[in-house]
Amino acid sequence: MKLLELRTLTARYGAGDVLKGIDIDVDEGEIVALLGANGAGKSTTLRAISGLVPHVAGDILLGGKSILGQKTEAIVRLGISHVPEGRRVFPGLTVRENIVLGASNRGRLSRAAMDREVGEKFELFPDLHRLRDALGWTLSGGQLQMVAVARGLMAQPRVLLLDEPSLGLAPLIVQQVFKIIAQIRERGTTVLLVEQNAHMALSVADRGYVLETGRVLVAGSPTALWEDPQVRAAYLGGLAAG
Amino acid sequence: MAIFLQLLFTGLGIGAIYALVALGFVLLIRAASVVNFGQGQFSMVGAYLLVVCFNVLGLPYLLSMLIAVILMAGFGVLFAGATYWPLRHRGGLPVIISTIGASIFLENIVLVLYGPSPEVLPGLFDSPGIQVGPVFMDSQYLSILVSATLLVILQYVIFEKTLLGKKLQATSQDKEMASLLGIPVAMMILITFAYSAALGGLAGMLVAPVLFVSVGMGGLIALKAFAANIIGGYGSIPGAILGGLALGVAETMGASYISVPYKDAFAFFMLLMFLMVRPQGLFGEKISEKA
Ligand SMILES: Nc1ncnc2c1ncn2[C@@H]1O[C@H](COP(=O)(O)OP(=O)(O)O)[C@@H](O)[C@H]1O
Ligand SMILES: [Mg+2]
Repeated sequence: MKLLELRTLTARYGAGDVLKGIDIDVDEGEIVALLGANGAGKSTTLRAISGLVPHVAGDILLGGKSILGQKTEAIVRLGISHVPEGRRVFPGLTVRENIVLGASNRGRLSRAAMDREVGEKFELFPDLHRLRDALGWTLSGGQLQMVAVARGLMAQPRVLLLDEPSLGLAPLIVQQVFKIIAQIRERGTTVLLVEQNAHMALSVADRGYVLETGRVLVAGSPTALWEDPQVRAAYLGGLAAG
Repeated sequence: MAIFLQLLFTGLGIGAIYALVALGFVLLIRAASVVNFGQGQFSMVGAYLLVVCFNVLGLPYLLSMLIAVILMAGFGVLFAGATYWPLRHRGGLPVIISTIGASIFLENIVLVLYGPSPEVLPGLFDSPGIQVGPVFMDSQYLSILVSATLLVILQYVIFEKTLLGKKLQATSQDKEMASLLGIPVAMMILITFAYSAALGGLAGMLVAPVLFVSVGMGGLIALKAFAANIIGGYGSIPGAILGGLALGVAETMGASYISVPYKDAFAFFMLLMFLMVRPQGLFGEKISEKA
């Protein structure tokens, strides 16, 4: 079943379209990777879905209903949780407070329910448990990424949008992050994953799209993308490295 | 020593007023990145609302204050709607200019309604004060100090101990991220404006019996509060409180020991010293640098 559909989506900030009519489908329970070089429009795609880009056209459907033009806060309440580029953990709040605020899109939670859910996140990210009272600005990059993902999961999203979770992390931490992404899918959450690290992304994804300057260049299964010589040469440089 | 303690008491009293106004100022900087040049006029409008409720309508004093504080919260929302909302996507400067415009507008409206001669408000208590050892504690200064302390505690509890407080803090640290979590950012900003106006208004009501109620009373208070902000560390909440208190004490001591006519100059002398020697203030912000 199609959960999230982008239909000839165009987006621009000022003059000049950054997205030039892209079509992307994400089925329920899938991990879909969105790949492409720096500046291709990957983050803009996620930001458009979350209602953060001022000018968008085409359509965005969640469970068959258009969400185009809705306010960001409303879109999150409909079940799209966005873990943006750069993690954006609140620097002056503690790890636990950051995670708790992730449930702001849902109604009032009882203290017991909140404690239970935060506890579950600490099981998923054991390192965070001992850091629960540390302020955001004191954390390392890997720790910030885990807080950001844990916070994003508190929304109980139908779709989780992850923007470059591996960026700037040491290889060992990157592996840990991707292990957790696989775990998230096993729990039934649908993921749209933006990555420059194509090798890692395609290793967990069910399907992938490659963007080039605001258009979808190719789409398909990881193996198909893997073997497309054009893609390989130009966009999956990570393959050689990885 | 007796005189020193007496001056310390008076200085802390007046400093508490600066601190309350400075606090409202800082909260708006943090939550909405708004440098509100109408903060002092909040105090002026608050004091005039108390004049209307108590002097004109003859309501009991505490009830008058309560009504005036509630009206000020609503006024803060209106003020946000007029100065901030239409310009919120245009960056800081247009909003600063519109708050300056609003402050001039408010002063002139009150001038038309009440004229240039100051109004007189009695203090909260009939008794002039109490003698504690060598210090005579004027009842109004005492009410200012007690109210300011209670407000600071209340604010600490709201901001640090409640979910609403955490959402307000999140909004002040990263508005876009807050909206991505489903926090109603616009509502958080309006709450901050309402709170900030109520705080400024209350400061005006508390200081009114000491200063008289006049159209121009807000301007000087706001300048002092702004100086308190720089001294305490721009954007810092504890800095606003300590900066305000330090300024009140410094100018009271300066006026008494050095020269009365230069009373207001001490505040700005202190501001200049800080800008030259320690521009980050008492509490230089780590968080805003990191964010
Ligand atoms: N806030 C913005 N305002 C104007 N242009 C932007 C903004 N964000 C991104 N762009 C432009 O949009 C294009 C795509 O950027 P982005 O979506 O961030 O790419 P990617 O995430 O694939 O690296 C780039 O050319 C970038 O300069
Ligand atoms: Mg990007």
